[in-house]
Amino acid sequence: MGLVVRTAMRGMRLLGLLLVLGWVVFPVYLMVKISLSPPEAVLRPVPEIGLHRITLEHWRRLLSSGGLYPPLIKSLTVAGLTVLLSLLIGVPSAYAIARLPRNWSYRLSVAMFLSRMLPEVVIALPIAVIFIRLNLLDTVMGLVFAHTVKALPVACWLLIGVFRSIPRDLEEQASVDGATTWQILFRIVIPLSLGGIAVAGVFAYLLSWDEFTYAIYLCLAKPTLPLKVYYYVNRGDWFLTSAYAVVTTLPVIVLTYVLHLFLREDVFAGSLKE
Amino acid sequence: MGRVLRLNLLGVSAVLTAFLFLFGCSSRGPQRPVLRVVMGLTEEEWSVMKTEVFPKFEQRYACRISAYQVEANDWIRKLEAMERAGRVEVDVFAQDNMRLYPLVAKDLVEDVSQYADLIPDEVPKALRGVGIFNGKLYFFPYRPNVQITFYNAEKFAEYGLNPPRDWDELLSVAKVFKEREGIGKVGLKLWGGSPTATQIYEMVISAGGEPFSFTDEGWRRTFRFLKELYPYLSPDSKRAKWDTTNIYLANGSFYLAQNWPFAIGVLVKTYHKDYIKAYAGWRGPVRPAHVVGGEVLGLPKGGEHRELALKFVKFMLSREVQTILLRRLGWPPVRTDVYAEVEDWQRPYFEAVKTALKDGVFRPNVLFWGEFEKLVNSAVTRILVKGEDVDGVLQECGEKMQEVMREAQTNGDG
Repeated sequence: MGLVVRTAMRGMRLLGLLLVLGWVVFPVYLMVKISLSPPEAVLRPVPEIGLHRITLEHWRRLLSSGGLYPPLIKSLTVAGLTVLLSLLIGVPSAYAIARLPRNWSYRLSVAMFLSRMLPEVVIALPIAVIFIRLNLLDTVMGLVFAHTVKALPVACWLLIGVFRSIPRDLEEQASVDGATTWQILFRIVIPLSLGGIAVAGVFAYLLSWDEFTYAIYLCLAKPTLPLKVYYYVNRGDWFLTSAYAVVTTLPVIVLTYVLHLFLREDVFAGSLKE
Repeated sequence: MGRVLRLNLLGVSAVLTAFLFLFGCSSRGPQRPVLRVVMGLTEEEWSVMKTEVFPKFEQRYACRISAYQVEANDWIRKLEAMERAGRVEVDVFAQDNMRLYPLVAKDLVEDVSQYADLIPDEVPKALRGVGIFNGKLYFFPYRPNVQITFYNAEKFAEYGLNPPRDWDELLSVAKVFKEREGIGKVGLKLWGGSPTATQIYEMVISAGGEPFSFTDEGWRRTFRFLKELYPYLSPDSKRAKWDTTNIYLANGSFYLAQNWPFAIGVLVKTYHKDYIKAYAGWRGPVRPAHVVGGEVLGLPKGGEHRELALKFVKFMLSREVQTILLRRLGWPPVRTDVYAEVEDWQRPYFEAVKTALKDGVFRPNVLFWGEFEKLVNSAVTRILVKGEDVDGVLQECGEKMQEVMREAQTNGDG
C-alpha cells in the first residue's frame, strides 16, 4: 500500500514538474520554431506545433541583412562594461557596508534601493537629459552609466550578503599578521567571495542586456539589441522578430545556467541576514 | 601594498582607456553638412529611402543625410529629452498625424507658417489642415493614409458573397460565414488602444454621431449594431490590432477586415496572399466615413540645418519623390497628380484608397485622445464582452468624457 502511495506521489510530482517545465519552455520553443518555419506552416488557421517543415530562410535574412551585428556588439559591450563598472564600484562599497554596524548597514542597504523604488519612466527622462547634456547620446558609455544606475544597487545588495558570510575572525587574523584593509579585501575577502561576485556580475549583465527604457532615450543612430527586437515587433514580420528574439534570449539562457552553477544559499541573504 | 596599488592603478587605467576609446569611436567629422532625419519605417521602406530617395537629395544639395529610426510614440519623449538638454541632434522628422498635439503643446516644434507655400497646390486642402494648430502651420502633410477593407476573394466567391456595402450587408455576411464555417470570419479590431478607438470612431461618424459625445443617437446606434454583430465576429477580433489583423487575414482567421494600405505590401508581397483583395469598405446608416491617418514632416526647435531641412520637405513633397514612394512602396501619394503613376498590380488597391479618401475623416488632434481611447475600450469591453446595457454604459462614458473635456479646456489643452 505504502509503495503504491509513494509511486503515485512520485508520479504526481513528475507530472507537476513536466507541467511547469512545459509552461516555461513552450513559449521559448514556439519562438525558435517560428524562426525556423516557412510562413505556410504558421500562417494557417491551426498552426503546426511540431517542427515538420524547417527553413533557414529567416536566419539567412537575419544574418545577411547587416542589421544584427552592430546592435549585438553594442549590447555585448554595454553589458560587459556595466558588469565591470558595477563590480568596480560595488565590491568595495558592499564590503564597506557589510562591515558597518548592523543598523547602519541595514539603512544604507535600503537607501541604495531608493532609485529602484521610483518607476523607471519617471527617473529616466531627467537622467537622460543630464546624459545628453554631457554629450553621451548614442554612446556606449552613456548607456553603461545609465545601466549601472540600475545594476549597482542589486549588485551591492547581493555582495553585502556574500561579504557578511565571511567570518570576521579571518580578517582580524590577517590584520594581526600586518595586512592592510585593501590587502584583506583583495587577498582574503575577494578570493573567498568569487562565487558571489560572479552572481552579482551575472545579475548586472542580465539587467543591462535586456534594458529598454534608458536605451530608448539614449540611442539614436546605434540601437541596442532589445531596441532592434522592439523595431521588428513594430515593423517586421513574425519570423524575423522570432529570430531576433532567439538571438536576444540565448545569452540569457546561457548566463542563467552559469548563475545556477555559482548560486549559494547565502548569496540571496542580502544585508538582512541575521 | 605596492602590488595592491599597482592593481588598482591598472584597473582605473583600463577603465579610462576603454572610456576614451569608446568616446573616440562616437565622434563624427562631417565634411559636407549633415541633415539628420528621423522616421519610423520598415526595413523595405528604409531601403527605398536610402537607395532611391536620399541619394538624389544628397547629390542635389551637396549634403549627407543621417537617417534614424524612431517610432512615433518614442519620438515625443526623445525630442523632449534632447530639447531639455539643449542638444537637439535632429533637423527634420516624420511623425504620425495622431501624435502631433503633444509636440505642439510642449513647444518642441517650429512654427512653419511662413513656409506654407512649400506645400504644392496638388495637395488636397483636406490634408493641409492636419498640420495646423491655433491657426499656425507646424507640420507639412507628406504621407496620407486611409483605412480600406481587405477581403478573402476566394472565400467570398466560394460562398457566393459580395463584399458588404453597408452595415446590414456586413451583418448578413458575418452570419453566412459563421453558419458555413462554424466560426466567425469577420474581423474587427477590438484589442484596445488606438486601433479599437479608431475603428469605433469611424463607425460612430458614419452613424451620424458626434466624435466625443458617447450619448447621442450615432453612438447608441453604433453599439446596438455592434452588440448584434459581435456573436458572428471572428474570436480573434479580441486580439486584433493593426499588425495582427494582417496575420489573421493571412492565416484565414479573418475573411474580411479593415486596415491601413501598408497591409497591401505585407499581405501580397511578404505573405504572398494575392487572393486577398481590397475595396473602400462599407458605409454607415448615415454616411460613408473612412478615418484618414498618415504622417507629416516637422522641424524640431533647435535643429541645426533649418534651411536644408526646408529644402528636404519640399523635396519629399515633390512629384518625383511621391512617385517613387507610390511605385516602390505603395504609399498613397499626398499629391493628386501622382495617382496616374500607380503600377498595374497596385491599381485595384489604389482605387480602394482613392474611393475611401473621398469620404475621409480626420481624428481630431486633441491631448485627451488617450482618455477617449480608454473610455471607448471600456465601452467595448462592458457592452460587447460582458453584455452590459448599451444606454447605461454610454451614459456613464459620456459623463466621464465631458469631465475630461472640461478639464482639458481649463488647462488650455483642448
